[in-house]
Amino acid sequence: MEARHRSIQDYEYELELLRSQLEEANETIEAIRTGQIDAIVVQGDNGHQLYTLKSADHTYRVFIEKMTEGAVTLNNQGLILYCNSRFASMVNTPLSYIIGMDFEQFIAADQLSSYKELFGKAWTEDCKGELSLENENQFMPVQLSLTALELDEGKALSIIVTDLTRQKNNEQQLRDNNEQLAKMNEALELSNNDLQQFASVASHDLQEPLRKIMVFSNILKEKYGKELSEDSNHYLNKIIDSSGRMKALIIDILNYSRLSENNTLLQPVDLNELMHELLEDFELSIRDKKATIQVGKLPFLHVNRGQIRQVFQNIISNALKFQRPGVDPVIIINSKLVKSLSFDSEEDPNGAYALISIRDNGIGFKEKFATDIFALFERLNPKDKFEGTGIGLAIAKKIVEKHHGIIKATGKEMGGSHFMIILPLNQQ
Amino acid sequence: MHFTKILLAEDDSDDQKLFLDFLDNRDDLFILPIVENGARLLEVMDSMPPEELPDLIILDQNMPQKNGLQTLDELKSNPAYHSIPVVIYSTYADAMLTKKAMEKGADMVAMKPLNQQGYHEMMDTFLQLCQK
Repeated sequence: MEARHRSIQDYEYELELLRSQLEEANETIEAIRTGQIDAIVVQGDNGHQLYTLKSADHTYRVFIEKMTEGAVTLNNQGLILYCNSRFASMVNTPLSYIIGMDFEQFIAADQLSSYKELFGKAWTEDCKGELSLENENQFMPVQLSLTALELDEGKALSIIVTDLTRQKNNEQQLRDNNEQLAKMNEALELSNNDLQQFASVASHDLQEPLRKIMVFSNILKEKYGKELSEDSNHYLNKIIDSSGRMKALIIDILNYSRLSENNTLLQPVDLNELMHELLEDFELSIRDKKATIQVGKLPFLHVNRGQIRQVFQNIISNALKFQRPGVDPVIIINSKLVKSLSFDSEEDPNGAYALISIRDNGIGFKEKFATDIFALFERLNPKDKFEGTGIGLAIAKKIVEKHHGIIKATGKEMGGSHFMIILPLNQQ
Repeated sequence: MHFTKILLAEDDSDDQKLFLDFLDNRDDLFILPIVENGARLLEVMDSMPPEELPDLIILDQNMPQKNGLQTLDELKSNPAYHSIPVVIYSTYADAMLTKKAMEKGADMVAMKPLNQQGYHEMMDTFLQLCQK
C-alpha cells in the first residue's frame, strides 16, 4: 500500500542510491581483479566484517590480468568462475556476462567433442589442445592449456587460452610461400632445361646445314674458282667468311650453355703450369705480334682445369687481339693471396682467395663499358676490325662465378685493360 | 697388291657423295657399299665371310637407329671384329664425344672437314691406322 504512495522523487532517490552502490561494487570488483587490494571490509549486520581473498597473491593477480593470454577458471560443471579481461576481449563479450557462463558456449560447434575430451582428461592430468573459439561467427584459433586446481571449495580447472591467429597466419603464409617457391623452382628448372636443350639441339642441328654451306662453297671455290669472275669469287669468299663466323658463334654458344651443366670435375691445378701451356699455344700469335708477356708467380687452385684454362685463354687472346695500332702488346699477369672475396680485400699471405690480375697495354675501353663487356654477344669494337663472337668474356665470367669467384675489368680508352679475378683456393 | 677395304656408315647423302668422290681418286681402295646406319653396318658385317671383312670402319656419330658410339660398343665387344680399326667422325666432335669414343676403344675421332682437301687429309690419316 505504502509503495503506491511513493513519489517520483522517492524512486529517483532510490535509483541514485542503487547506482552508487553498483558503482562502488564495480570499483571493488575492479580493485580485486587488478590486484589493488588484498582484503575488503564490509559493514554487515554484526558490525564490520573482514573478507580476505583466498590465494590473495597480489603479484599473480596482476600478472594474470595483464598477460596476453586469456585465463579462465571453470568449476566441475564447466561453468566459468573467473576470467581475465584478455579472455573477455578474445570472445568479444563483456566480462560481467562471462562469469557463470558455460565455457562450451565459446567453443566452435564442430570442435565441441575435442573440447569435451580435453575437459574430461584435464581433471586427472595437465593437457593441451588446439581448437577454435567462436563468437558470433568470429573464429579464433587458440591453444588451451588445462590444469586442475585443488581449491577449498572443491576442484576447479584453470585454462590458459593462447591466441594462435598470428601463428596460424604465419604458418599459412609460410606454407603458401613455400608452395610458391617450389612452383617457381620447378618452372625455373624446366626453363633452364629447355634453354640448355635448346642451345644444345640448336647448336648441333644448326651445324649440319652450316657445314654443308662451308663444304660446298669451299668445293666450288677449289674446283671452279679459276673459272669464276673476280666479283663471283668475292661473293664466294663472303659466304665462306660468314659461315666461318657463324660456326664460331655456334660453338661458343654451345660451350656457354654447357657451362650450366652440373658436371664440373674439380682438381688441383698449378696455374703456373697451366699458364705456361697456354702461352705455348699462343706462341705463333705472340711472335707475330711481337708481344711481351710477363707472368709472375701464380697459385695452385682447386678448379676445373679446362674451364679455368678457357678463362685465361679468352682474356689473353683479347689482350693480344685488341692491340693499339703500332704498339707491340705487353701483357703482365700477376697474383696475390687476399683475405676475402672482395676487390677491396687486403693482401694476406695466408688468405683463402687468390687475386689474379691480367693487364695489357691495348686499346682498352671506355670506363662506362666495364660491366657491359661481360654480357653475352657484347662487342665494343667493329667486327671487321677485330674478329670474334662477343661470347669470350661472358664465358669467362660464367666460369669464374661457377667457381664462386668474381671478375671485373677496368680500363681507359686507348689506355689498356686490367682484368682482375678472385677465386677461392678451394671449392667447398 | 692389297686393296684396303673401307666400310662407311653414313646417313647423310652429301657426305656419302664426298666419300665416293674421294674413292674415285684412289685406285688402292676397294669399294664396299656404304651403309646408312650402325644397325645396318652390323647386319652387313655379320653376313660377310671373315676374309671379306673391312680393314677400316668409319662411323658417323649421328645416325638413326644406332649411332656411332653404340655401334662402336658392339663392334669392340665382338671378338670377330674387335681388332678392326674404327674411327668416329661427326659434324661436332667435342671433348666429351672424343673421351667417350676413346674409352670405348675408338682408334680416332675427327670433325667432318670443311673442304675437299681437308677430306682427303682426314681419310689419309684414317688409312694410316690400317697399316699398323
